[in-house]
Amino acid sequence: MMIGGGRSSSSSTTATAAGGTWVSTTSVSTSGKRIQREMSELNVDPPPHCSAGPKGDNLYHWVATIIGPPGTPYQGGIFFLDITFPSDYPFKPPKVVFKTRIYHCNVDAAGNLSLDILKDSWSPALTVTKVLTAIKSIFTNPDPYNPHVSGIARLYLTDKAKHDEIAAEWTLRFAK
Amino acid sequence: MVRAEPKQTPQDSKQAIPIENSQKVDTRFSPRFKSVAAMAGWDEEALLVASLIVEDTPDRQSKHKKRSDLVFKTPPSTTSRRKRRAQRRSPVSTPIAPLNLDEEGTSKQESGKQSMEQRINVNEEKKSEVNEPTQQAPGVSCSNPAPQCMDKLRDELSCAICLEICFEPSTTPCGHSFCKKCLRSAADKCGKKCPKCRQLISNGRSCTVNTVLWNTIQLLFPQEVEARKAAGALNSRKVQRQSPESGSRSTRRTRSTTDASMRRRGVMSQDEDAALALRLQREDLSRLVSTRRRREMPSQDVDAALALRLQREEFMESFRGTHQQSRTPLSLARANLRAMASRAINLRIRDRPV
Repeated sequence: MMIGGGRSSSSSTTATAAGGTWVSTTSVSTSGKRIQREMSELNVDPPPHCSAGPKGDNLYHWVATIIGPPGTPYQGGIFFLDITFPSDYPFKPPKVVFKTRIYHCNVDAAGNLSLDILKDSWSPALTVTKVLTAIKSIFTNPDPYNPHVSGIARLYLTDKAKHDEIAAEWTLRFAK
Repeated sequence: MVRAEPKQTPQDSKQAIPIENSQKVDTRFSPRFKSVAAMAGWDEEALLVASLIVEDTPDRQSKHKKRSDLVFKTPPSTTSRRKRRAQRRSPVSTPIAPLNLDEEGTSKQESGKQSMEQRINVNEEKKSEVNEPTQQAPGVSCSNPAPQCMDKLRDELSCAICLEICFEPSTTPCGHSFCKKCLRSAADKCGKKCPKCRQLISNGRSCTVNTVLWNTIQLLFPQEVEARKAAGALNSRKVQRQSPESGSRSTRRTRSTTDASMRRRGVMSQDEDAALALRLQREDLSRLVSTRRRREMPSQDVDAALALRLQREEFMESFRGTHQQSRTPLSLARANLRAMASRAINLRIRDRPV
């Protein structure tokens, strides 16, 4: 919890600093403008248990954190994600990758997500906030019928208690 | 000279027709209604015909008006089919009918969208109304509620794609508004679906600006709009061009007044009338064509109306051509002039001292 809070505040300060330098250079591009706007909105009103902001000077490369929601085996874990925006951003989905290992049927070993809104169902009206909320929701409700790791999905369907146990163990090992 | 001839025909037919008409009318209209109609100067046959005939294509407003006046100046006649046709366009049916056609082209095609827009627009307008007093408020007393309201408005009126205040907003059939540019690029790059609710959107619709919404935005957020106007190369002239309807309506009104003045000049001969009607009809046509061009939106309704009019005019022309080639006013006048000239020459020859 403490680390997450510290991390988010530091990232937001770097975000504003980076934003200041970016105004002059990329104010022309629609994607840059839109990302900047999302950033300021995230700073003003961040979604619960989430934070996000640019990694460094690059506005198109963000880091996000999600805190494992209570009532799930991921509770208390801090999961880091990398978000990379394409140049035609609002019209193409951002690439989101888990940097923290997680035992989840929709996230593979490399951290890739199987989330429909990040692929075919992407809409330019979606924002980072909404994407993070969607990712948070698959913590509570995994989708075993559309899995990235079929073994975990099978275990989740057949023996949920065992699945939860392993997931909690992984959370303790990698995300705390 | 020229007028003497056509005037005779109505007078000849005067005796024959009204009797049978009055019988028909008696069965249809109450005496009181008839007397009122007579006071209003409505011809009985015109009333009857109007009650029987449902106007199929309401057009040629100017012609109707003129005819309706003419009907009680020259008594009814059934001698020529053309006159009958003219009388069918009775005074009763005129007020509603002709206004529709020109509007129909656009209104029909946009009605679906408009109905949806209206809901939003009504909301937006309500908001703006709500907002106006609050805008005045900071000067008066409290400054707190106004910014809150403005923030809400900003959220509500911002485009979900660029997250800024909608610039030249365009509304989808499902009722969501985005910047015209944003919506177009979204349709190009992400498929023709509404970014908010994924309903299908058609191409033509996504290109029209929701004028009311845009005006509201311009009123509420002038600085933002100006900033974006300055930043982007977009010109707002397009938006102003979007509302040519009012202009065309006013021209129509002025034309009808000129019609009225023409009428005041007195009773014209039937043929002159026909020529005038034709001319006005042509004006109508050209107006239709020009408005269509101005809108630059191919709509089936307008096309159909235009085709119908063209067809009808062609028909009228050919009809007229076969029946009155001999007695067009121009040829008559020419013949008369020639006769006068020859008479004068004859007289001069006779009077000339040999």
